[in-house]
Amino acid sequence: MASLRANDSARRPLGGVLTKPFLFISTLVLASVLLGACSEPTLGGMVRTPEPYVGDVSLPDASDGERDFLTIAEENEILVVYFGYTQCPDICPTTMSDLRKAVEDLGRDGDRVDVAFITVDPERDTPEHITGYVQSFFDDGHALRTEDVARLEKAVLSYGAAFSITTDADGTVEVGHSALLYAVDSTGHILVQWPFGTLPEDMTNDLKILLRKET
Amino acid sequence: MRRGLLLVLTLSALVAACSGGGGIEVDDPWARTSASSQNNGAVYMVIKGGDTADRLIEVSVPTSVAAVTQIHESMMTEDEDGEDMMMMQEVGSIDIPADGEAVLEPGGFHIMLMQLAEPLEVGNEFTVTLTFETADQVDVTVEIREG
Repeated sequence: MASLRANDSARRPLGGVLTKPFLFISTLVLASVLLGACSEPTLGGMVRTPEPYVGDVSLPDASDGERDFLTIAEENEILVVYFGYTQCPDICPTTMSDLRKAVEDLGRDGDRVDVAFITVDPERDTPEHITGYVQSFFDDGHALRTEDVARLEKAVLSYGAAFSITTDADGTVEVGHSALLYAVDSTGHILVQWPFGTLPEDMTNDLKILLRKET
Repeated sequence: MRRGLLLVLTLSALVAACSGGGGIEVDDPWARTSASSQNNGAVYMVIKGGDTADRLIEVSVPTSVAAVTQIHESMMTEDEDGEDMMMMQEVGSIDIPADGEAVLEPGGFHIMLMQLAEPLEVGNEFTVTLTFETADQVDVTVEIREG
């Protein structure tokens, strides 16, 4: 099949410049592309080695009566975790909206993806606020919130995330935060993370691969 | 045949010259629906420059939409440990290059609506007034879209 394609191109007017070594190399390239298509699909997002363990990170779930929530997926599921805040008009809604699209495109398997949003701005994000926000994107989404800064910082550190909150002289609050989505499996490891701007379809593909591994 | 083509070219050049005050044109202005309990929103669009470079210096919406409107930019920075962090800051203006365009899009420049009067819902629209350094003010109708 591969050599057929190469012969095809040799028949085109450009065929004159297709020397034997060129044909040989292009056949090899084509063959490896075709082989690649047959092999295991690879993750498009960022994979960290060793996979960071976050299964011991626990934060109160404002959407579940402040009960402690461990950031670990249930059996056969994937938990997607994000650090953000509700006053964020651009990055956070864009990310949540893209993730929602990605999960919707999984069809029935979308039920096997759980989402937890950790607020880095607990002072302004009241429990009601953060719950309403998260659940406007995901009906069963978890709104994780703690006013214990040390506890939040420990969570941030475990994920290798970052955040900062500063208040200007005029009272303007500036928030910075990691704009990554983390996909955690049922052993509590981050299998893949998606930076801001990852296309929903790429997340869908990665989620399909991860969910297949979970079953 | 050739004369016909020339006429068409001349006419289209004239039409192009007439459109838009000062040559600024705005494409595809939109805002995302706001989630429940979300106080702020963002407006995106593509601003196409005219013959000369210009700058977007002020933006406003009616108070029935939001209390404060500012030009913002989201940008990637690093914290002291070298971790990537997304920050957002107010910028005084956005350059509109001559014959080029300024793109306001998620993760970059955007018009930030603060203290939304009502949630932004699909089917509604509102007006943003853009003030430029040189070109005439432009009112654009912003379409609200689902995520």
